[in-house]
Amino acid sequence: MALLEVGGLTKMFGGLTAVSELDFQIQAGELLSIIGPNGAGKTTLFNLLTGFYRPTSGSITFNGIDITGCKPYQMTRHGIGRTFQMTSIFKQSTVLENVMIGKSLHAAVGLWGSVFGTSATRREEKRTRQKARELLSFVGLGDKENKIAGGLTEEAQKRLSISMALATEPKLLLLDEPTGGVNLEEISGLIELAGKIRKSGTSICLIEHKMRMVMSISDRIVVLNYGKKIAEGTPKEVASNEEVVKAYLGARYAA
Amino acid sequence: MRTLFSPKAVAWVLVLIAAVAVPPLVGGYVTSMLILIAIWTIMCFSMNLIFGYTGQLSLGHAAFLGIGAYTFGLITVKLHVGFWPAFVIAIVFTGLVAFLVGIPALKLRGPYFILVTLGFAVIVGVIVLGWIDLTGGANGLSGIPRPNPIPLPGGGKLRFDSLLSIYYFILFFVVLIGLFCHRLVRSLVGKRFIAISYNENLTESLGINTMSQKLLSFTISAILAGIAGVLYATYNVVISPEVTHFARGMDVVAYLIVGGAGTMAGPIVGTLVLMTVPEVLQILPYLKTLINGIILMLFIIFLPRGIIGWFNTNLGERVTSKRAVNGSA
Amino acid sequence: MIAAYLGFYMVMSYGMNYWLALVLSTFALGVFGLVIYSLVFHRMRSAPEVNLFVAAMALLMILEGIALYFFGASTKWFLIPFTRRVITFAGLALPVQRLIIILGTLVVMVLLELFIKRTAIGAALEATAQHREGAMLCGIKVTRISAMAFIIGTGLAGIAGMLIGPAVLLEPTMGMGPLLVAFSAIVFGGLGSIGGSVLGAFILGLVESLASGYVSAKYSLIFVFGIMILMLLFRPKGLFGREVWRP
Repeated sequence: MALLEVGGLTKMFGGLTAVSELDFQIQAGELLSIIGPNGAGKTTLFNLLTGFYRPTSGSITFNGIDITGCKPYQMTRHGIGRTFQMTSIFKQSTVLENVMIGKSLHAAVGLWGSVFGTSATRREEKRTRQKARELLSFVGLGDKENKIAGGLTEEAQKRLSISMALATEPKLLLLDEPTGGVNLEEISGLIELAGKIRKSGTSICLIEHKMRMVMSISDRIVVLNYGKKIAEGTPKEVASNEEVVKAYLGARYAA
Repeated sequence: MRTLFSPKAVAWVLVLIAAVAVPPLVGGYVTSMLILIAIWTIMCFSMNLIFGYTGQLSLGHAAFLGIGAYTFGLITVKLHVGFWPAFVIAIVFTGLVAFLVGIPALKLRGPYFILVTLGFAVIVGVIVLGWIDLTGGANGLSGIPRPNPIPLPGGGKLRFDSLLSIYYFILFFVVLIGLFCHRLVRSLVGKRFIAISYNENLTESLGINTMSQKLLSFTISAILAGIAGVLYATYNVVISPEVTHFARGMDVVAYLIVGGAGTMAGPIVGTLVLMTVPEVLQILPYLKTLINGIILMLFIIFLPRGIIGWFNTNLGERVTSKRAVNGSA
Repeated sequence: MIAAYLGFYMVMSYGMNYWLALVLSTFALGVFGLVIYSLVFHRMRSAPEVNLFVAAMALLMILEGIALYFFGASTKWFLIPFTRRVITFAGLALPVQRLIIILGTLVVMVLLELFIKRTAIGAALEATAQHREGAMLCGIKVTRISAMAFIIGTGLAGIAGMLIGPAVLLEPTMGMGPLLVAFSAIVFGGLGSIGGSVLGAFILGLVESLASGYVSAKYSLIFVFGIMILMLLFRPKGLFGREVWRP
C-alpha cells in the first residue's frame, strides 16, 4: 500500500484550472520530486495535499485513510508536514521557541495546568523543550537556539523551517523549493540533511528547479505542465522523455 | 529564585505597594477614580489576551462587560440570588455567550472578524436599550448589592460598604487576573496564542487547531470582561446601557495600544494614563472619545507598540540579551 | 454620516437645491477621503494589517466625537421637498425618497460594475487588490490606485449618506446601523462579489422591513445580524463568494 495516493485530483479557481486529473503515488521511504515550469501547479498541489485548498474533485488517501478535504491542522496530524516556498518562520521569536511551537502539537498541556503550574504541565513543557533541542542539533542549528529567528541567514532559516516541520513528526515531508536563495556550497549541506531525514524514516516529496540536485537524489520524478502530469518515472526515464525535454528540460539532460 | 530580585520584579512590587497604600491617604474622589481605573484595567487585560497576544481585534468586548454586569444585576435584584452565586453565574453565562458567538465569528479573518464583533456589540446595545421590562431600558438597574460581609477568623466581619473596602476588593481581582494572564502567556498555551498572532497559517500547518485556540482565548478574555462588568455593577450599585456602548470597547483598545499591546505592564500604564490625564486637564466627559481617538491615531501611526513597547525595544535590549545568556524562560 | 450632516446644513441652512447638494457632498467626501489617505493610510502602508484597522477605528472615534461636538447629540430632521411626498401606485403608497434611494443605488451599482470591469483603472484596482507586488511589477502606480480606491469608497459613502439623510433621523452614530447591515449583506452575498452584495442587501433589507413590521422595529437589526451569523456558520463564503486566498 502506498503511503500517499492521489486520484483524479483537480483544482479550479473560477475559470482557471490549476491542477487537472492528477494521479500518482508516493511509496513509503522514497524521495519523489515534482518538477515543471513555473505555474505548472506544483505549489497548488502542495496546498491541496496540506489542506490549504479544497480539491474541486478527486481524492487524497494517506496511509489508507481518505483525507480529502481535511483542514490543514488535521493533515499535519495525519502525518503530512511541509515547508513553504517563502520561508515561513516566526521571525520575532527565538530559534528554540520556533521549534517548540512546532512540537507543541504533541504537548499535552491545558489551561489549568498552565496557569497553576502543575507538575504534569511542567514536565510536558520540559519534554517539549528537550525534543526541540534535539531537533535543532539534528538540522545543525544546535548552537543558535537563543538567537532571534529573523536574524539568521537565509539558509539557516530554511533549516529552521525544516526542523519546525519535522517537529510535527510527519511520515511524509513536503519541501517546497528548500534551496531557493541558497548558494551552491549550502546546497550540499541541505542534500545531506535530506538524506538524514530519509534515514530516520520520513519520506520526502520535493519541489525543486535545480535539475542536477533533483536528478541525483530522487528515487522517482513526477513532471507537471499546465496542471497536468506529463511524465512519471526514474530520473533516467524522465530525462529521456521527449515531451518533458520539450516542455521544460532542454536537450542538455537527455540520456 | 533568580528572577525574584530582577529590576522588573522590584518594579511590580513597588507598584503593588503603592496601589495598596495610597488610597487611605487620599480623598474619596481619587479613590473612586482609582476604582474605575482598576475596573478598566481588567478590561484592558481582557483585550490584551485576545488582541495583544492572539492577534484578533474584537470590538465587542464592551458587550461582554455589559452582559456580565446586567446578568449579575438582574439575578441579584430581581431574583434575589446571593452575591457569590450570582457572581459565578454571571461570568459563566458571559463565557457561554462568548463561546457561542466566537464559533461563527472566529471563522472570519481580519476586518471581517472585527466588524462581526462590532455588530455583536451594537446588537447587545440594542437589546439592552430595547428590552425595557428586563433591563429597565435607558433608566437601567439600581439597587445592586455589595459583596456579603465575610466573617473574619478573629471574630467580627469584613464589610464592603465603604469606598475603601470595595477598592481593595476590586484590587484583589486586578492582582489575581494579572497573575493569571502572566502565567497563561508564558506557558506553552500562551506561546500558541502568540504564534497565531504572528502567522495563523503557519501555526495551523504545524498541526495546531487554531480555531479551538482562538476560541479559548476569546472565551477567557470575555470572562475577564464579564468579571469587570460584575465588579462595576457592585461598585456603582446602578448600571445603565451606557456601560455597554461599543464606544467603551474602542476606548479600551485605545488604552491598550497606548500602553503597549502584548506586554504585561501595557494595559495598566495605558489605562492609567488615558484615564487620569483628561481628569487632570478637566476635559469635558463627552469629548473623551474624541481625545482618545486622536491620541490613538497618533500612537498607531508613530508609536504602534505603545509606551511599554517603546521601553522594551529601546531600553530593554540589555534585559533581553541577559535573558538569552541565562537561557530562555 | 458626514455626508448626511453636510447636506443637511447645505440644504436646510443655505437653501441649496437637493441634487446640487448631493453632488457637492459626494465631491467633498471624495476630497476628504484623499486627505485621510495621504495623512494616515499612506504612511501606514507597510504596517501590519491590524494597525490599519486600529487607525480606521481611531478615525471613527474622532469623526463621531467631532460630530457630537459640533452638531450636538439631539437628532435632526433633514427636510427636503421630497421627504413627505408619496406617490400612490397600484394601490400602494410609495414614499418618494425611498424610490430615489432604490433608483440611485441601481444607477451607482451599474456605473461601478462598468467602471471596474470595463476601464483600465478598474482593472488596475482589481489587480492591486489581488496582488500588490505583481501590480507594481506591471507598472501600476499602486499608491495612486490605493488613493483612488479610498476616494471612490468615501465618495460612495457620501452618496449613500445624502440618499439616506432625508429618510431617517440624523444623529452622530447614524452610521452604525447601515454599516452593520451593509457588512451583513457583504458576508451574506459573498465576499468579493458586487452583485452578491447588492442581492444580499436587498434580501436583508427585506428581512429588516418584515421584522420591523411583524415583530418590532427596535429589534429588526437583530434579525439581519442573526441571518449573517447563520450564513457564517453554514456557508462562510456567502452565496457567491470567491475563494479566500491562502498562501
